[in-house]
Amino acid sequence: MMKADGNLLATEASCKSCPLYHAAHMKKLGVDMEDWDYVVALAGNPNTGKSTVFNALTGLHQHTGNWPGKTIARAEGGYAYANKRYKVVDLPGTYSLLAASVDEEIARDFVLFGQPTVTVVVVDATRLQHNLNLVLQVLEITDRVVVCLNLIDEAIRHGLRMDHRRLARDLGVPVVPTVARSGVGLAELSRAIHEVATGKIICHPYRVQSEPPELKQAIKTLTEKIEKALPDLPNARWIALRLLDGDERIATALRKGELGDLRRSTVGETDSPRPADEPTEKALVEEILASAQSRRSTIGYNVHERYVEAIYTDAARLADRAVTLADEKPRFDVDRAIDRLVTSRIWGFPLMIGLFAFIFWLTISGANIPSAWLSALFIDTICPMLREGAAAVGLPWWLRGLLIDGMYLTVAWVVSVMLPPMAIFFPLFTLLEDFGYLPRVAFNLDNIFKKAGAHGKQALSMMMCFGCNAAGIIATRIIDSPRERLIAIITNNFALCNGRWPTQIILATLFIGGLFPSPLAGLISSAVVVGVTILGVLLTFAVSWFLSRTLLKGEVSTFSLELPPYRPPRFWQTIYTSMIDRTIFVLWRAVVFALPAGAVIWLVANVHIGNVSLAQYLIGFLDPFGILLGMNGIIILAFIIAIPANEIVIPTVLMLIVLVTGAGDVGAGAGVLFEPESESTLKPLLASGGWTLLTAISVMIFSLVHNPCSTTIYTIYKETGSVKWTAIASLLPLVLGIVLTFFVAQLWRLLAELG
Amino acid sequence: MPDPLASLTLALAIILFLTVIFWPTFGLINQWKRHQRTSIRVLTEDALKHLYKAEVEGRGATLQSIAGTLQIGIERTTSLLAYMQRGGLVTWEEGRPQLTSVGRHYALHIIRAHRLWEYQLADQTGYGKTEWHALAEHREHELTRDDVSELSVKLGHPRYDPHGDPIPPASGHLQTHGGKPLMTLAVNQTGHIIHIEDEPETVFAQLVAEELSPGMDVRVLDKTRERIVFWADGDEHILAPMLAANISVVPLPNADRSKFFNTEHLSDLKPGEQARILRLSHFCHGAERRRLLDLGLTKGTVVEAELASAGGDTMAYRIRGALIALRSEQARLIHITRLRAADAP
Ligand SMILES: Nc1nc2c(ncn2[C@@H]2O[C@H](COP(=O)(O)OP(=O)(O)O)[C@@H](O)[C@H]2O)c(=O)[nH]1
Ligand SMILES: [Mg+2]
Repeated sequence: MMKADGNLLATEASCKSCPLYHAAHMKKLGVDMEDWDYVVALAGNPNTGKSTVFNALTGLHQHTGNWPGKTIARAEGGYAYANKRYKVVDLPGTYSLLAASVDEEIARDFVLFGQPTVTVVVVDATRLQHNLNLVLQVLEITDRVVVCLNLIDEAIRHGLRMDHRRLARDLGVPVVPTVARSGVGLAELSRAIHEVATGKIICHPYRVQSEPPELKQAIKTLTEKIEKALPDLPNARWIALRLLDGDERIATALRKGELGDLRRSTVGETDSPRPADEPTEKALVEEILASAQSRRSTIGYNVHERYVEAIYTDAARLADRAVTLADEKPRFDVDRAIDRLVTSRIWGFPLMIGLFAFIFWLTISGANIPSAWLSALFIDTICPMLREGAAAVGLPWWLRGLLIDGMYLTVAWVVSVMLPPMAIFFPLFTLLEDFGYLPRVAFNLDNIFKKAGAHGKQALSMMMCFGCNAAGIIATRIIDSPRERLIAIITNNFALCNGRWPTQIILATLFIGGLFPSPLAGLISSAVVVGVTILGVLLTFAVSWFLSRTLLKGEVSTFSLELPPYRPPRFWQTIYTSMIDRTIFVLWRAVVFALPAGAVIWLVANVHIGNVSLAQYLIGFLDPFGILLGMNGIIILAFIIAIPANEIVIPTVLMLIVLVTGAGDVGAGAGVLFEPESESTLKPLLASGGWTLLTAISVMIFSLVHNPCSTTIYTIYKETGSVKWTAIASLLPLVLGIVLTFFVAQLWRLLAELG
Repeated sequence: MPDPLASLTLALAIILFLTVIFWPTFGLINQWKRHQRTSIRVLTEDALKHLYKAEVEGRGATLQSIAGTLQIGIERTTSLLAYMQRGGLVTWEEGRPQLTSVGRHYALHIIRAHRLWEYQLADQTGYGKTEWHALAEHREHELTRDDVSELSVKLGHPRYDPHGDPIPPASGHLQTHGGKPLMTLAVNQTGHIIHIEDEPETVFAQLVAEELSPGMDVRVLDKTRERIVFWADGDEHILAPMLAANISVVPLPNADRSKFFNTEHLSDLKPGEQARILRLSHFCHGAERRRLLDLGLTKGTVVEAELASAGGDTMAYRIRGALIALRSEQARLIHITRLRAADAP
């Protein structure tokens, strides 16, 4: 505490002398945003650094990543500046606010109806022209705008010189150059926000000028009508435009009086909507709508098109004035050279597979040692201490069993097995993501997805699934065709998630890598894991193909994906945040689910019906079915117990083997999830449970292809809102897994009989 | 352990059996469902539609024409018409079935539902053009009057369906598109496509494959008994009269001839080549068109093809500073003029 205060003082002292003194006025508030004074909305094209700005202002850890569509739900946080409390809302990235997609609608509705005091448009300085489209649209909706000219460092790297003062003059609103990632310019940004919010700066926003004359005339007449009827509206011109474009959402809002909220006078106040209840106002609104409708039929129906053309004409002119190329002579363009290589016909795919294989290899070979340390710590050292402590306190045996042997040990196993691979895999993956490689993968795979009748962006949601399927399901929101989005949701489960990597890695190492001499073993094991991953991807294609020809018939929709510029990631920063954001988050989830599962395992093993325990009874019941699939009753039961969290399949299997085969001296008793000290005891133990090479292969296949975990199922239900599709998404992989393992097992046995 | 061979055989048999029953397209359950759909109400509504269209076109319907349209036997048609007569939807005059005003009103609702639904499919979904009709044909029987009004509001009261047919108002009369067949244009005459008939399906599919669509400007280049050659939005098309008969145009006598020339497409560019956008084809419509515009693919924009995907068929273009990947079918719908290296800004 003392130390933190000291630091703060020191900063303040050193800042007093510098021109950025107002930085000390700023305080990050995280999610604590009770009684805010002002609301700030962060809008912008995808991938311009909105979430980075959001994190820098609020001190939160919203996911960032160098690919479009990373932020899908809107995030909220808070900060204080000059004794005023600000609530910040990070909106999904959009190219436009003309509401062509769900994302745009969310963003537009918030800027329009959410009454933000100030809207900050985060702009990529290296793509100013492209980004100004959105800026000009926002300027039509609201006056109180600050433009955050982000990624200035990248602009400099590309030899661009930005004249932000001229841009500010042209746009009529403050323009603040920033490098959000390293916090440069954020103090100025919050000051600009403050000054606009408190009315110290009055904006005179730029209005689009290049509309064709007949459209301009129509807008003008309608705007005058609206201004006369509803003098409070700050954006009559924009409303006129939307009405001319036949936007019913705006017409409805006008009828209900929802747009009245935007009255200039209500800076910072939050009063309730004022319905247009006076009969005169109602009549006036109807008259405006009728007049818009009739004008629509005379000026034609392509208002949207002509307006967008006008915006871009203006944007090009404004950007030309603000940006100059510092050195004219073309330099060797590294970014382009990398792009050529990673998308090349010859090298594109081998590079992709090689890169992922390398990551898996690092994960597999790097995770062993820390895994052993962790299990030594949690299981060999802490566990006996806990047992002794519990005995000393005098807890009854069943409570001790439930708490320590059931819950604690399950969690300990999950942590020691999952943490090391995740702590290696996630940062590496995040580095790739930050660099901007993943959209290139989607770009390369697009043609295959198209042939399978799916959307190219499914490659991106699949990437997310490799981390966590539930996150991948949410990421499918970037796919705007409902048909193809459902395909992506149903096939999500074929991408191995965190919970299943350990299963694959352990089995591949023990049963397949173990067949080879030691220098080869590691390579072979990672090749097997890559093979399983590719099998999953192939299944994704096959099932997508099947669905797009049967249940989800339809033509492939189109695909437009921005390939973001490469941005050199900041190595340590990335590693740190990915540990905090992802590793800890996923681990926490696993632990939360492993806790009750541990209790269930212990109970199943200790509740007796007559002479047999419930576990033995269930295993006997499931055995014939399991054997048909090349597995056994124990494994099936383990998969059932592990529905909440895939990561506990193997621990559950081990515990149940001990229980049934009576190999009690290895473990610690009924229902105890133990960690055999090294792999050498793990394999004999599995073998004593009847495991063969076929069993291992069947478990690997079934772990790849079975029902999603309960969190994922719930997420699917939330995203689709349909019991039918949730059921299909859960059962289709399960049935497919049963069929696959059945055929593998029977063919294997048939061949074994013959040979 | 069961014998592997026996269990494999059994499993294959079970899978075959389940496939025959449950397969989503040809499965027995699905076929049964499809049969259920042709219920008496659906038949009635289809007959009403046929009667109404015949009435508007002034050609009068007969028992045979109804039976032909609905693809049911004469006997069933007779009993259907009797049922409709009892319901007050049709009367018989001069040996021909005629709509009553109730029947006309009902028919109008079905047509309105059909066309609005097609509009919604075209404007907001990724369904292919050739799929709209069949989907709307199914959906029109499920939408109530309230649903239809709501749909119309949601879509911003469109006046034409994507084929160029006027969408009738909730009450009033069915209008025709008022164009004349493409074949009536003389050589060198110019016109504007206002309607493309979507039945029969096979003919329409060929017109879609030609990427023809209402909204395009055409100029006839050559016309013989066997074929018509014309330019539409910068592409040359050669059609048999049978196909051309499904295209309706309004003449544009004063059109600027210089606007009609053959153009290249964005998909023709190789990596490193630059071009200026002339227009987006009218074949590109709805949400898709809006998205391309929002990405900056507006008239006059200079674009450069930059990267070809390793998987083929997708290309990334430099558009106003951003690198944007498009599939070749999309790039085909963007007309361009190539820029030599020297013209490039
Ligand atoms: N070089 C550089 N990179 C940045 C800057 N701001 C953000 N980034 C990176 O740009 C990527 C996209 O950022 P993000 O905040 O996720 O963008 P959003 O999609 O707009 O929310 C991330 O990899 C960030 O690390 C910046 O000022 N300079
Ligand atoms: Mg974001």
